[in-house]
Parts: sequence; C-alpha cells; structure tokens
Amino acid sequence: MTVMTINVNGVARTVDVDPATPLLWVLRDVLGLTGTKYGCGIEICNACNVWIDGSAEKACHLLMKDVLTVKIVTVEGLATNGVLSKIQQAFIDEQTPQCGFCQSGVLMRAAKLVNGNAKPTDAQIDAAMANICACGTYPRIRAAIKRATGQAPVV
Amino acid sequence: MSDQLFKNGAELINTNVSRRAFMAGSVGTVLAFVLESSMPGSVANAAGAGTKISGYLTINPDNTVTVAFGGAEMGQGIMTGLAQCVAEELMVDWSQVKTESAPWAQSYITGGSFGVRANFVAMRTAGAQAREMLISAAATSMGVPASSCTASAGVITNTLNSQTRTFTSVAADAALLTPPASPALTPKANWRIIGTRANRTDIRGKVDGSAIFGLDVQVPGMVYAAVRHSPAIGGTLAATPKLPAGATHVINLGNAVAVVASHSWIPLDYCAIGISSTSSTWRDGIKWTAPAGAAAMTTAAILSTGNTLMASGTPGSPLAENIGTAAANYTAAPKKFEGTYQVPFLPHVMMEVPNCTVSLSTNSAEVWAPTQAAGWVASTVAALTGIPTANVTVHITLLGAGLGRKIEQDFIAEAVKVAKIVGKPVKLFWPREEDLSQDQYRPFGLIRVRLGMDASGTPTAFQARNVSVSPLFQRGWIGATGNDNVDGLVDSPYNIPNKLVEFVRHPSTIPVGFWRSVGESMNCFALESAIDEAALIAGQDPVAFRRTLLAGKTRELGVLNAAATMIGWDAGAPAGHAYGIALASGFGSLACLALEVSQPAAGSLTIHRACMAVDPGMAVNPTQVEAQMQGGIIQGLTSALWGKTTFANGKASSKNFNNVRLLKMSESPAIQVQIIESGIQYLGGIGEVGVPPVAPALANAYARLNGTRVRTLPFF
Ligand code: FES
Ligand code: FES
Repeated sequence: MTVMTINVNGVARTVDVDPATPLLWVLRDVLGLTGTKYGCGIEICNACNVWIDGSAEKACHLLMKDVLTVKIVTVEGLATNGVLSKIQQAFIDEQTPQCGFCQSGVLMRAAKLVNGNAKPTDAQIDAAMANICACGTYPRIRAAIKRATGQAPVV
Repeated sequence: MSDQLFKNGAELINTNVSRRAFMAGSVGTVLAFVLESSMPGSVANAAGAGTKISGYLTINPDNTVTVAFGGAEMGQGIMTGLAQCVAEELMVDWSQVKTESAPWAQSYITGGSFGVRANFVAMRTAGAQAREMLISAAATSMGVPASSCTASAGVITNTLNSQTRTFTSVAADAALLTPPASPALTPKANWRIIGTRANRTDIRGKVDGSAIFGLDVQVPGMVYAAVRHSPAIGGTLAATPKLPAGATHVINLGNAVAVVASHSWIPLDYCAIGISSTSSTWRDGIKWTAPAGAAAMTTAAILSTGNTLMASGTPGSPLAENIGTAAANYTAAPKKFEGTYQVPFLPHVMMEVPNCTVSLSTNSAEVWAPTQAAGWVASTVAALTGIPTANVTVHITLLGAGLGRKIEQDFIAEAVKVAKIVGKPVKLFWPREEDLSQDQYRPFGLIRVRLGMDASGTPTAFQARNVSVSPLFQRGWIGATGNDNVDGLVDSPYNIPNKLVEFVRHPSTIPVGFWRSVGESMNCFALESAIDEAALIAGQDPVAFRRTLLAGKTRELGVLNAAATMIGWDAGAPAGHAYGIALASGFGSLACLALEVSQPAAGSLTIHRACMAVDPGMAVNPTQVEAQMQGGIIQGLTSALWGKTTFANGKASSKNFNNVRLLKMSESPAIQVQIIESGIQYLGGIGEVGVPPVAPALANAYARLNGTRVRTLPFF
C-alpha cells in the first residue's frame, strides 16, 4: 500500500492502495466514482474509458503508479456544475441508452470525438466508436453525435 | 394469450395507504397499491399463480409524483412505460413524473415481454383511483362537490369558483379515503401521455454517471468478493487454496472459490487472471474434480445424441401440435421439402456481469441486486439463512441488461453464502470470464422441418420436430413436453391444413436458461428458413409464397408487406446484393424483418440495411418500440454471425470478449423501423420479438446472394 495523489475531474484525490492496482478499481471502489464501468477487464469493450490528459483510455489496464502526473476525467466530470455537456444532452435527446451500462465509456469516446471534430463523418464515427454495446444502441449513438455536431439526423 | 391480458385488477390497500401516508409524511405522501398480476407463461406459473405486484405513488412536496414498481429496468423502458400509464390517469404532466424501483421483497418476475402489456389496465386503474381520491379530498377541502372538480398538471380546480388545490396539499387527506372500485378510465382519444414519445425517466443518470447498477452499489463497511467456478461446469474444488496476498478470505463454495478483499481488484485478479482458464489444476496445486458425466458434456457427443433423437427419439406426449394428418399428407405430397437446422448453446452476454450485494443481520437481511426476480431473491436468502422472507428487503437496482440471465439465483446464493461467512456486507461479482463460461445458456437444438406441397406448390402439410435441451425440465417445472422449446413452431400463422409439431427432450446437463425470445430464438430460424427453401422448390418468390400462406391474416400481411416495401423487394436488390425476409410472431406482437446483404470476399458478409415492420397492437411509447427493434436486430445479428458456446468435458469455450465477438458500430446496418398499430386489443410485448426474425432473414438473404443455404448457426 502506498499513499498517492491523483487528479480526477480537476480535484486532487489522495488514496492508499497498491501502486499496481488498475485505475478503474480505485475510481470505483475507493473514490466512489462508479460511473466508470467494468465490462471485460482485458481492454476490448471500452466500458472503462476515461480521459487521460484529454485522450480516451482504458482504465481497466492503467495502473495507479502510471497516472500520478496526468489529468484524469471520468463521466462524472463531463458536466459542468450540473449542466450537461452538449454530447450528454444529445444522448438524452436521442434517448440513446438502453440498459446504459456501456454508456459512460461510449460518452467518453463520443465527447472526445465531437470536441475534436466539428462535423465527424459516418466513417470517422465508426472509427472512433470502438465500444461494445450489447444492447445495440449504435444507431442512436450515431444520431446523438450528429445532433451534437449540428448535422442532419440519420435514419 | 391475449384474453388473459386484461384480467388484472388494481386495488388500493387502504390500511397500507394510511399507515404509509403517516410514516412517510415528511418526504411526501405515499399511496400504495397492490396489483393482482396475471402474467401468463411458464416463468410466471413457476413463480406461483397470482403473483403480486407491489407499487406505490408518492406525491412529493414539490407536487411531482414518484411512481415505484417492483420490476426490473434493464433497458427496455419498462419503468417509463408503466409510469406513462399511471400518469395518464393521474392527470399530471410527464415532466412531473419520476420513477424508482420499489424496494419490496414481493415484486414480480420481469420476463416474457409482459412488463407493460400485462399491467396496462391495472396501472391506468391505479392512476385513476389515485386521481379520484385526490379530487375527492380537494372537493371536501374547498366545500364543493367532486363532480365540479377537474385535475390537470397535478392541480385540482373547481369550476364553480376557480379555487385550486395542488395534489401535494390534499394528498394526506386523499390517502385516508377508500379507493373507488371502478374509476373512470380516460378514453384513448384523450390520451396525452400513453402513445407518445415520452422521454425515459432513467436516462439522465445513464449519461452523467449517477445511475446505480448492481455493480455500483456501495454500503457502509462493505467488502468485495469475486468467484472462480470449476472450469468443468459443476465440478468441485478438492481443497481450499491459500489466502492470497491482500485478501481477507478465501472460501471454498464447493463448485467455486470466492476471494474477499477490501476492494474488487485483488479478488478479480485472483479469479479471472493468471491461471489458464481451462486448466484442471487451480492454485497451490489443488485440483478441480470433474463433475459426474463430464465426458457427455462435449459438443460432439451432444450433437450425436441429438441426431439419434431426431431419427428415433420418442416425442413428448401430448404432441405439441397435431392438426389433421400431417405425416400421411407429407408422405403423399408431390412436392416436398425437408431440412434440419441446428442452433448452438448461446451465452446471454449482458454488459453488467452477475453480481449481488448482501447485508445480513441476526434476523433480517438486505439485498441489492440487478435481478429480474426479486421475490425469488428473498426466497433464496430465506432458504440459506433461515431468515423469514418477510424480513428480507430486496432493492432492485438498475440492470446492465438482463436478457433472461438475471432471473437466475446462482450468483445471489453465492453472495449470501459469502456474506454469512464474512460477517460483513459483501458485494460478490463474477469476472467476465465466469459470466461467459458459467452461463445458463440458450439451449442447443436441432429442428427438422418438413413441408409437403401440392402440385402447384401450395403447402398442405407442415411437420416439425424440435430436439433440444429444456430449461423448464432442468428446473423440474414440467414433464416431457416441449413448452417454451416449441414456441415459434406451434400456432404458426401460416394457413396449412395439416400440422404436426413434436418435441423430443435432449438430456444434456449443460445448464440452459431463458434467453431473450426463448424458444422463438431457435424455432423462428428453422421455420422461416424452411419457408424460403420450400418457396424455392415451389418456384415462387418468398414474399409472394408467404402472402399466399397468410391469406386473410391482416396483421401478418401488414408487417410482411410493410417490410417488403421498405426494403424495395419488388424492385430487387442492387447488383451484387441480395434481400432476405423473415416473419416472427410471438409475445403478442408481430415483426417482419428484411435485410440487404453482400459478400465482399469469401468468409465475410456485409449487412447494409435492416428494415423492420413491427405490430405491437399499440405502441405505448414509439421511441422505445423502435429502440427495442434496433437493439433486437443488432443482438440477433451478433448471435447469428458469431454466437455460440461449445463444450469439451464440461468446459465452456466462451470466456471473454476476445473469443466472444459482438457486432460493433462499424458493422451495424442502417436500420429502419416502421410501427404498425392494428389495435389496442392486440397490445403485445416488444422486448423480444425483434430478435427471432434476424437469423432466418440473414440466412435467406445469404442463400439468395450466393445459393448457399446456412442451416447451422452461427454463420462464422
Ligand atoms: S473493461 Fe476496460 S476495456 Fe473492457
Ligand atoms: S446500453 Fe446496454 S450495453 Fe450499451
């Protein structure tokens, strides 16, 4: 066990865990930020996506000792003072989530995409959205990304 | 089944109402109701007839209302659909409505696509009773007759002098009144909320990270446990391994080992990772003892037994369906088709792994679980602890999908056992590897279909034999007849004068369970593939062939023609592409799917478009009907293309998403959904019917593309 400080959603958080613990479980079990999900633990499903210095990464395989100097953003950090970000609002407007379990990871990638690309094309959306959604919300994820970027809705 | 759907009655339990009204006075006034549910179907029957649905309305201090039910919200929008029914009659605006799960032990089973349709009248009645009680209390308070009062947006106005009362201000008095026996229900023409695209009530929390699934539950003093089961299903661990570093407990559960620590990682790391997943030797040199009969739990042996039963097995009695003289007619038919279709064991693949949090006290228990069967959870706790079910509180969390898997009690029981030993609240969860290798799978099955046709190619005899493993039989719920396993073969909508459907139970002990759309998921593949194959022999177009067989069936023709029109069937597919179509009827609804596919290279398949016409009688919420169809198509494609679990001496092949492939966004087709509302009297379920037509539509499209008929799933 080691006392370490990480920056999560703009706040310094001090925890006492094994430095080899994956960030996912520190966020969830120690810090109570349960929005970030466990789906596979083997870097395939993207349910555990967070931003590390602005890039979407898999928290299931990022070790604590490797995230001490970076800025971490979780799904709980997407809204500002309770005001949802554009992409979150678009997910509501398109009624995107079904069970919702994959959606935090989906949102982290979708938010990243729309922040960096004013008008992502279908091909760019396909390439960026590597998440697994077993409920099959893909059409509504696409529609929400288009809505958030002011593009015409899709079928 | 439709005749059973409207037998529900709602009664407001007055004693409960008043007691709870006082108890909850500070946070709002609670109006409780208990509904007698008639949820037909085997799952409900097994749970016991007359299952009660508990629920309540809370009139909050800010004049909003909270509607609570003991059902499972697993993404299908059930909370929203039911709340729409209540809110319609209660005369509140949709923006005033919140929902939550009722934390009551005796709630109901969520399955069989019955969530909304079985409670449609009951929920409206409950809302109407509450409205009349509120109006009555307001009328008394204003000194006017109730007949001069109307309610709108949670405010009661009397038309004599325009005085008003909010629901909140009269709720406490209303809760003391006797509920009216038969309150007036709002006619369909005046509906404001039912039938609209009301936003779901559970979505905000699912986009800001605040939604609490079972896996997210945290209670004070809680510890975390993960499990690892015998790789051969049902095997046992010969001894208890050493305590892993950082863990507080290692527990031998017989067929599994549980590891407990102050957070999830150490148990997960120990149980999921580091040891070859099928090795018979566990940690510290301790071996798993193979279960009795492990050799028979092998895919090739199971198939061979299935083939023998197909050829010479004795069908369960009575026959699943026997109309006319199908066998003789088939033998004598001048044109005939016979084909045998094969479907694999199939894992559920819910994004949220099985998990359960348990807190035990001397004579009471509290459980938080993503469960489709909270009443069974209470029974499981009682059986393992001796605590009476009345002292067991079950909190139904959000479910990261259920798909039929979360009706089961295996993961619940493990959490209870571990909590007993640890003496603290425990959250037990399964690593993904355990979820996929220790599932209660959609049954393996062989389905032989024979169609006898007259000289002009019109079918006169339909004969089907389903050889499959029975979830109901494994649970001791039925005898030798098929029941769920023949759904989708019996009562088919096709006008064929002679029909014979047989079920032969496959004795495999691979655990099987209820998988979204149950028997339909295998039988629709066989039947709808066979119809296309017979059409080919008859020299007819598959859509025209179906139209002939559906003469006079307005609803079936409605979805068939709509799907054909959407895809552009008559114009034909673009060069190098092909269309395929399939019809499903079940869960009180009809769904017809047309697909457009192409094959850019050998061994690959591109699904370009999916056009679904669905007739649920009436859409309580069209957005949710569309979402269920979209999701059903995507899950159906995933299953048809890649879905299977094979077994070697009881060891499952499926482990994690590195060998269980799911369709990704880039692989999903453009989906178009058309809802046909043929009448409220046909109100049907929507959670499952979107899945069954997918595999046969794909096989039919594939056959029309390149002449190759796929009769064994999955494709790849
Ligand atoms: S949990 Fe990290 S990628 Fe699946
Ligand atoms: S919404 Fe359920 S897995 Fe994506």
